Amino acid sequence: MAKIIGIDLGTTNSAVAVMKNGELQILENSEGNRTTPSIVAISKTNERLVGLLAKRQSVTNPKNTVFSVKRLIGRKFTDPEVQRDKAWLPYEIQAGPTGGVEVKMGDKWYSPEEISAFILGKLKADAEARLGEKVDEAVITVPAYFDDSQRQATKNAGEIAGLKVDRIMNEPTAAAFAYGVNKEKNQKIVVYDFGGGTFDVSVLEMGFDPETKEQTVEVRATGGDTHLGGDDFDKKIQQYLVEEYKKQEGIDISKDPLAVQRLKEAAERAKHELSSAMETEINIPYISSDANGPKHFQMKMTRAKLESLVQEYIDLSIKLTQETVTAAAPKGAGYQLSEMDEVILVGGQTRMPAMQDAVKKLFGKEPHQGINPDEVVALGAGIQAEILSAKAEGRKTEGEVKDILLLDVTPLSLSIETYGGVATPMIPKNTTVPTAKTQVFSTAADNQTSVEVLVLQGERPMAADNKVLARFMLDGIPPSPRGIPQVEVTFDIDANGILNVSAKDKASGKTQSVKIQASTNLSKDEIEKLKKEAAEHAAEDMKKKELIDARNQAESLIYLTEKSLRDAGDKVAEDIKTGINEKLETLKKAKDGEDKAALTAAIDALSAEIQKIGQAAYNKDNGPTGSDNGQPADGGVGESGPEPAQSV
Amino acid sequence: MAEENEEIKKSVDADTGAGNDAANGKLAEIEKQRDEYLAGWQRTKADFLNYKKEELSHLEEVSRYGNADIMKDLISVMDNFDLALRTLEKEGSVEKGIYLIRTQIEDLLKKRGLANIDIKEGDAFDPMVAEALAEIPSDKPEGTVVEVIERGYRLHEKVLRPARVIVSKGT
Repeated sequence: MAKIIGIDLGTTNSAVAVMKNGELQILENSEGNRTTPSIVAISKTNERLVGLLAKRQSVTNPKNTVFSVKRLIGRKFTDPEVQRDKAWLPYEIQAGPTGGVEVKMGDKWYSPEEISAFILGKLKADAEARLGEKVDEAVITVPAYFDDSQRQATKNAGEIAGLKVDRIMNEPTAAAFAYGVNKEKNQKIVVYDFGGGTFDVSVLEMGFDPETKEQTVEVRATGGDTHLGGDDFDKKIQQYLVEEYKKQEGIDISKDPLAVQRLKEAAERAKHELSSAMETEINIPYISSDANGPKHFQMKMTRAKLESLVQEYIDLSIKLTQETVTAAAPKGAGYQLSEMDEVILVGGQTRMPAMQDAVKKLFGKEPHQGINPDEVVALGAGIQAEILSAKAEGRKTEGEVKDILLLDVTPLSLSIETYGGVATPMIPKNTTVPTAKTQVFSTAADNQTSVEVLVLQGERPMAADNKVLARFMLDGIPPSPRGIPQVEVTFDIDANGILNVSAKDKASGKTQSVKIQASTNLSKDEIEKLKKEAAEHAAEDMKKKELIDARNQAESLIYLTEKSLRDAGDKVAEDIKTGINEKLETLKKAKDGEDKAALTAAIDALSAEIQKIGQAAYNKDNGPTGSDNGQPADGGVGESGPEPAQSV
Repeated sequence: MAEENEEIKKSVDADTGAGNDAANGKLAEIEKQRDEYLAGWQRTKADFLNYKKEELSHLEEVSRYGNADIMKDLISVMDNFDLALRTLEKEGSVEKGIYLIRTQIEDLLKKRGLANIDIKEGDAFDPMVAEALAEIPSDKPEGTVVEVIERGYRLHEKVLRPARVIVSKGT
């Protein structure tokens, strides 16, 4: 069965989402972008262009480039909104045969449905190319304030484009779905949608009937301003930059198309950067010139400045939001601000921290964030599409399937103690269970016949700082030089969070294991506390661990050096031996000290010195910085890999 | 599995008179659940395999276009470089080394898949590769490029940045 896609058919931009491989995703268009400009044009060569291409030629062809058609769809020509838009839209519009609107493109008149159908047609074709299969059904979103005629017209646009429209969905409802607030309970939700060209506030009431398991969404009030948006912000910044430049250089650059283009880009970039940084630099070299030569534009812009420029717009949006929530019906929902259970932000402009703060202050509540605000409506439509697909196919939605198979993650890392008291992670935190991991370790001393396996939980690099979950011994390891025995340690967590740790000596086949029932059921507070501790101690822990790592490395080097000297015997010249012994003693002293720099220096010195013994002696051992005698180098603790703590 | 269940059902039928329906009902429910679980499991497995395949092509994509952002930024640095050169040229001859540095940057980007979009004055304006900044009267035919203000660039197949051009509206 073909896929049903979710479409956010926006005033300025549109986007498509679909459930694919169990994951909700935005489909890129043929230009490789996640959103498509809602623009259609008939070019001068009589070609129909949709999206980015239509946008690129709009300057040369304003009369035949139709944008913002969503403002006209399903409306009467005599509608005051239409009359208001007619004044500023650069393309021609007239009354249609049935009182609706018609727009002119090329030498033909089109209904807004047809224009929207061109956009939907491109979205459909691009989605088909991405998915590699036919798409002929869709869920399309519309603003909550759209009346029946506007909804019907949108639906017709879909049909013209060859899409069966299974559902016309309210944009705020889609946003609520995307944030998963369509839970089985009654709640009041406000959606603050600050788009490129329009600002919409919607108050929703979600109801749930536990008897019938039916969910209802009721739009209690809508408000906003259809001519307020992020574009106003850009214009304001651009205007400010033009004025500043005039102040700096006395030149008006607002008439130079290239300068304006570069300013526009700089303004947008500054706006974006100031969402995360407190200050940004506007830097446009060679923006203009006068009799004295070229002129550049360079200035700093602070977040405070940006905010002061657009404060009036934010204030206006807050006032409108408050009205929509609190005013008595029919103007508003007649609720208290504090009654709202959830606040959702939609639209790219809501990335601005000052806007988020203003909304937060109004409701005294943290708004939902995290999903890309340009994509959240499309994603919600994608969820609705998946619900409908699943129903049609008589299966559970992929979301529901996930609920049954809700897989846990390990809240904290699970490690094993290795030589020097280091916690070597076996299963890192946030790993989805069930999972298993096997790693081979070795001994730390010659003729070591047993190892102690210490199972740890926590994020700290040193074993002693973590929680001990279990400890057990594996003995009966045949005596051999350090690094030779291979002990295979396996951590296995099942879906219920039960951790099985086993250790097996590969030579003797001896195995020991332990079962830990409650590896994941720490309380939330406990987990948070442990994570916080780890973060607080990160720096000192790292230092401590580096010192231990260096010590381990030193130890291995000392061991190898002594072994090499022994093995080489008389073949080594006396003066070389003396040199090595000298460096060896220095390293031995440094090893027990706390000075990591001195220790590293001593390691390097000895490493260099033993090179002198000559390659012959080393071929057998693979050199001081190489091998661990057949044991896989894992974790990179010095030269011989992590080794279980020496048994007592 | 299904056969086994049939057998159980039969034996349940034979063994008990009362509670028969209840047992059958329970069994049917369990069978339904089993089918659901199996379907879910198969779906998950298929999802994972598909995900792996997609991830591979995604990785390829990333290796090709992963540095598109920094390339875009570098392109605007190159634009400024060109502006600087043009200004310097007006004042007299420019030290050759400066050109060499520019070529060096461009070569570096070319090696990573960047290509200049070749548009000249007099070419027909094509929104696939160019963006119109303005339209002016000129003796060039209508709809052709009068001036290339900023060069356009392609990264592999994608237009990374369209050329910025001024288009003729005829005389």
